[in-house]
Amino acid sequence: MDPSEVEFLAEKEMVKIIPNFSLDKVYLIGGDLGPFNPGLPVDVPVWLALNLKQRQKCRIVPPAWMDVEKLEEMRDLERKEDMFTPVPSPYYMELTKLLLNYASDNIPKADEIRTLVKDIWDTRVAKLRLSADSFISQMEAHAKLDNLTLMEINTIRAFLLDSLNCMYKLRSNMQPGSSKGQLTDY
Amino acid sequence: MPCERKPMRYDHSEGHTEVCFDDSGKFIVTCGNDGDVRIWESLDDDDPKFITVGEKAYSLALKKGKLVTASSNNTVQIHTFPDGDPDGILTRFTTHATHVAFNSSGSRVAAGSSDFMVKVVEVSDSSQQKTLRGHEAPVLSVTFDPKDDFLASASCDGSVVVWNIEEQTQVISWPLLQKTNDFSNAKSLCRLAWQPGTAKFLAVPVETKVHLYERGSWDHVSTLSDDLLTQPINVVAWSPCGKFLAAGSVGGSLNVWDVNSKLCVERYKHEKGFTVCSLAWHPSGSQIAYTDTEGCLASIVQSFSDISYHSFKFFNVILLIFDSRRFHVAQAPEKKPAEDYDALFDDDDDDRLMDEGLSDTNSPVKKPVAGDDDDDDDFLMPDKFGDDDDDTGSAVMPAAAPLVPLRPVYEGPLPSAPQKAFQPGSTPAHLTHRFMMWNSVGIVRGYNDEQDNAIDVEFHDTAVHHAMHLTNSLGHTMADLSQEAVLLACPSTDELASKLQCLHFSSWDTNKEWMVDLPKGEDARALCLGQGWVAVATSTLTLRLFSIGGLQREIFSLPGPVVCMVGHGEQLLIIYHRATGFDGEQALGVQLLQFGRRKRQLINGEPFPLSLKSYLSWLGFTAEGTPCYVDSEGVVRMLNRSLGNTWTPVCNTRETCKSKSDHYWVVGVHENPQQLRCIPCKGSRYPPTLPRPAVAILPFKLPLCQTTTEKGQMEEQLWRSVLFHNHYSFLSSSGYEIDEEGQSRSQKEQQELLMKMFALSCKLEREFRCVELAELMTQNVVTLAIRYASRSRRMALAQRLSEIALEKANQVQEEEPEEPEEEPEYSRRTSGPERRTCFSGRMVKVMVEYLQMLGAGKPSASSGQPRVTNILDNMTSSKKSAPLRSAGKPNKDPVLKPLAPRTKTKVSSTQKYSKHTNKWLPKTGFQLWLEENRKTIIADHPDLEETDVIKEAMGRFRTLSAEDRLQGTNLGNVLFFRHTWSKRHG
Repeated sequence: MDPSEVEFLAEKEMVKIIPNFSLDKVYLIGGDLGPFNPGLPVDVPVWLALNLKQRQKCRIVPPAWMDVEKLEEMRDLERKEDMFTPVPSPYYMELTKLLLNYASDNIPKADEIRTLVKDIWDTRVAKLRLSADSFISQMEAHAKLDNLTLMEINTIRAFLLDSLNCMYKLRSNMQPGSSKGQLTDY
Repeated sequence: MPCERKPMRYDHSEGHTEVCFDDSGKFIVTCGNDGDVRIWESLDDDDPKFITVGEKAYSLALKKGKLVTASSNNTVQIHTFPDGDPDGILTRFTTHATHVAFNSSGSRVAAGSSDFMVKVVEVSDSSQQKTLRGHEAPVLSVTFDPKDDFLASASCDGSVVVWNIEEQTQVISWPLLQKTNDFSNAKSLCRLAWQPGTAKFLAVPVETKVHLYERGSWDHVSTLSDDLLTQPINVVAWSPCGKFLAAGSVGGSLNVWDVNSKLCVERYKHEKGFTVCSLAWHPSGSQIAYTDTEGCLASIVQSFSDISYHSFKFFNVILLIFDSRRFHVAQAPEKKPAEDYDALFDDDDDDRLMDEGLSDTNSPVKKPVAGDDDDDDDFLMPDKFGDDDDDTGSAVMPAAAPLVPLRPVYEGPLPSAPQKAFQPGSTPAHLTHRFMMWNSVGIVRGYNDEQDNAIDVEFHDTAVHHAMHLTNSLGHTMADLSQEAVLLACPSTDELASKLQCLHFSSWDTNKEWMVDLPKGEDARALCLGQGWVAVATSTLTLRLFSIGGLQREIFSLPGPVVCMVGHGEQLLIIYHRATGFDGEQALGVQLLQFGRRKRQLINGEPFPLSLKSYLSWLGFTAEGTPCYVDSEGVVRMLNRSLGNTWTPVCNTRETCKSKSDHYWVVGVHENPQQLRCIPCKGSRYPPTLPRPAVAILPFKLPLCQTTTEKGQMEEQLWRSVLFHNHYSFLSSSGYEIDEEGQSRSQKEQQELLMKMFALSCKLEREFRCVELAELMTQNVVTLAIRYASRSRRMALAQRLSEIALEKANQVQEEEPEEPEEEPEYSRRTSGPERRTCFSGRMVKVMVEYLQMLGAGKPSASSGQPRVTNILDNMTSSKKSAPLRSAGKPNKDPVLKPLAPRTKTKVSSTQKYSKHTNKWLPKTGFQLWLEENRKTIIADHPDLEETDVIKEAMGRFRTLSAEDRLQGTNLGNVLFFRHTWSKRHG
C-alpha cells in the first residue's frame, strides 16, 4: 500500500468547516452534504474541505484533538507507556499533515502542533521498530498491533515482510542438509 | 484644609522607627533600627543629639525627663532626657519588647513583648511590676487608660484586650485583628490610643477603619473611615485635646478625623507611599510628626489647630459643607443601592457587559443620597454651634447621636439603574479587541490598542463583498452591517461632533461612502441598517432616518432614551426606556415601524416583557423578519403576530449551559429551519475575538408544561410549529416571496401531530379532547380522524367528528372559488430568467427535483440554479469561481435577507396568468374521480368511446357512498395541487 493511498482513505474523514458561500444540500454517492450556510459550521469530508479551503471558500475548524495541550498530554503518555496508546484519530498523522499544509492559518499554534504530532509519530515509530526488532530476535510467531494506525503499519509492512522473507530463505538454507553452494546465490 | 507639609528627612536606617515629642514640644525624639535615639530640635536640625540604647531600638516613650526604650537585648531601659544618661533597666523579657508606653502622669510604664506578656512597671520602683498574661501571641501595642484603671493591648493572636491593672485580669477581649505568628509579620502594628482627658474612647485601628470603644460599657460606638483609605491603618494617635484622631496607614496615607462629627478633616498622602509606623502630636496640637519604615521623619503643621478651639467649630461646619461630597460615613443604608446592584447583576463574576452598562449609572442612585447628606449637615449646623466648647468629652455623643436619625433609611423599592444603550451583537466597548457587530451578514471587529486603532469588516458570505480593513481615526464605537452597507458612528468629543459614517459598498456609482455630522450636543446612541435606509437614535431622544445613499429622510422623537434598535427589510424595531424600573427591573417600551409604501406603526410603545430582574441583551429579527430578543436570563422571545403581537418565549439558552457562568451569545435566529445561532461562551457573557469563536445551533423549545410526557412533547411540537409558521402569512401579506414548499411541509407536520395527538387521546378515552383536536385539523385530516374513531368503535365520537367535517367542508367550498386567484403565484415560477434570480436555492432545488421526477426538467432547471451547480462544477479549476461572485448578488439566499418583493415580477406573472388560467379551473370531485378511475373503466370496457366512458363513470360515481365522494373531493384538492405542478413543468 502506498502512503498516498492511505492519505486518500484519510480524506474521507469528516471535518468541520465554516463556509463563506451558501449552497443547498449536495447529494453525493457517499452521502448528502450540507446545506451550506455562510458562517455556520458544517461537516464535510477532508477532501472537500481542502478543496474549498484552497479556493478560499471556507475556514476549517480544527478537530478537537488538534490542540496543543491535548497533544502534549498524549505525547507524554506515549513516551511513558511501553505499549502503543490510543491515538486521537485513526488518521491523525495524515490529517495533521493535510490540514497544516493547506489550512495552517485556521489552526492556532500550527507549528507547535506540527512538532507535537511529529514527536508522537517518532515515538510510536521508534516503538514499532523496537518491537519489530524483538519480534525477529525472539523468533516470535505473532504480534499484537493494537492502537496502530494504518499509516504506521504501512511504514513498516513492506520492509518487515521482505526482510522476514529474506531471513526465512537464509535460515532454510542454513539448515543442515542444504548445500553450502546455494547460499552464494543470494 | 490649610496645612503645611514640612519636607521629610532621613533620621534612621530603614526598618521600624518611632517618634515622640518631649513634654514641652521643643524636641522631636526618634528611635530606629540602628539602635540610636535621636533628639531633634526641629526638622531642620542637621546635627541631632543621639543616645545609643542598644543594637536596635524597638520602641520609645518619653515623659517627665525619662526616656524609656525597648531595645534588642530584651530589656526596657530608662535614660535621662535630654542628657541621655542611662538610668537603669526597668524590666526584662525573654525576648524583645515591642512597645512601651507611659501612663498620663508618667508614673508607670507599660511594655508589651514578643513573649506574649504585658508588664506594668512603676518608674520610681522597678521592683513593683504587674504582669498581664493571657495573650497567645506576641503583643503588638499597649496603651494606658488616662485614668490609670485600665490598660489596653493588642496582640498578634488577633485580640484587643482591656485589662484591669490592679486585678491583673482581662476586662474584655475583642477578636478584631488578623492572626499572625510574629510582630514582624503583622499586617498592622495596631497601635491603640486612648482618648486623653476624659478617657471616654479607646481607638483601635481595624483594617482600614478605626473603631471607637466606649470606656466602661466597652461598646463599639462608632467607626471612623474614609473612602480613600485602602490599606490597613498602622497607628492612631489622639490630638492632645482629644477631639481629633490621626491615623497613619500601611500605604502611607495620613488621615485626621474630627471625632465629634466623624468627618475626615485632613487627608494626606506620604509622598513616597512608605508605611507610616509612628505618629505623634505636638503637645500644642499644631503639628503631627510621623516616621515611616524607611527611616524618614516628617511632620505636618496644621493651622486649624492653631486657631484653637474657639474658631474650631466654625471650621467644622465649613468642612462639613465642603467635604460632604468626598466624605463617606460607614453606615449601611447609604451603601445599599449600590450593593443591591452588585448582588443583582454580578451573580457571575464576568458580568462585564453590565458593569459597563451600569458604570456611570451608580452615580444617579448615589447622588440623591449625597444631596441628602448636604441637607442633613446643614440642618445639623445650629446644633453644632450650640455645643459647649470646653466639654470635649460630652461633645462627642450629642453630635454623634443625631447623625443616625438624620439619614432616613428608605426601605421601599429602589430604582434600578437604567440599562445603557447598546448595539445588539456587539461586545462591550471598553475591550481593546471587540466585536462591534456580529450578525447574519458578517462580523465587524474593532481593535483599539497601542499599535492600531482599526476596524475589520468581514462577510460570512464572501459573495456579498470582500473583507475590509478601515483605520478608525474617528474613534467609532458603534457599527451595523447589512448586505448593502457598513454603518459606523462615533460619540462626540470636545471638538468634534458625533459622526455617522456609511460605507455604501453596494452602490453602483464610484462614491461608496458618505458621512454626516450630528448637530452639536447630539450623540448617536444606537443605529441600524434596513433595506435602503439607515436609522440613528440620538441622545436627544430623536430618531433620524436617512436613505442608504445619504439623503435625510423622516425624523421623529422617541418616547424615551433608546436602548437598542434593529432593522430588517422595511421594519424598524426600537426598544427604549419607558420609565424607571424598580428593584432591578427595567421598564422598556417597544415600537415596531414598517416603512415601504404604506408606512405604519405595528407596535406603538407597548411595555416590553423581560424576565424578572433581567435586562435586554440581544435584539434582532429572525431571518424571516419576525422580531426576536434575548434577555440576560437567556430567555429568547419571539413576536407572535397571530396572537395580537404578543411575545412568546421560545427558548431558554441557560437550560443548555453546563455551568452557571456559561452563557450563549446569540448571533441570529432562523425560523425555517428552526435554528438559534449562538456562540457558546465559557465563563462569560460574550466571546473573545481570538481564538475565533465558532457558531453553534440550539433548538427551540416552548416552555410548555410536562414536556417529558408524550402529550406534552407533541403539544410543544405543535405549537412551536404553529408559531414558526406565522412568518409565512406575514411575508405573503407584506408582499414577499415565500417558500411554499416549506409552508406546506410545516402544515403537513402540524396535521400529522394533530392526528397523533388525536390517536393518543382516543387511547386515553378522552373523547372531548379528541373533538377539541379535530377543531384544529383541516378537513381531510378530520376524515381520517373519523375513520380512526369508527375503527376504534367510538361511534359517538365519529358522529361529532362528522359534524365538524361537514362544517369544514362548507368552509372549504366557500373558499374554493378563490383558489384560481392563487394560480399566478404558481405560474410565476416558471416565467422568464429574470425571475429565477429571485428564487432561493432551496426552491430551485425543489423544482429541479420535481422536474426530474417528471423526467422533463433539464433545460430550465440547469439555468435556474446557477449556484447549485457552480461550487462543485468548478472544483477542478479555481479560476472559474469568478462568475460565482457575479451570480451572488443580493436576494439569492432567502434565509438571510428579505426576499425579493413580489412587485418586481407583476408583469410577467400576469402574462402567464392569462395563458394558463383557463386550463386549470378547479375540478369537481367527479372529474377527479373520473381521472383516477378512467383506466379501470377503459380496462373493463375497452370498446367504449370517450363520451360513453364518461357516462359509465357517472353511473359508477353515483353508486359511491356520500362519504367516499366527499373524500374524493378532498383528495381532489390534493390532486389539484399536484396537477397544477405537473402542468406547469410538463
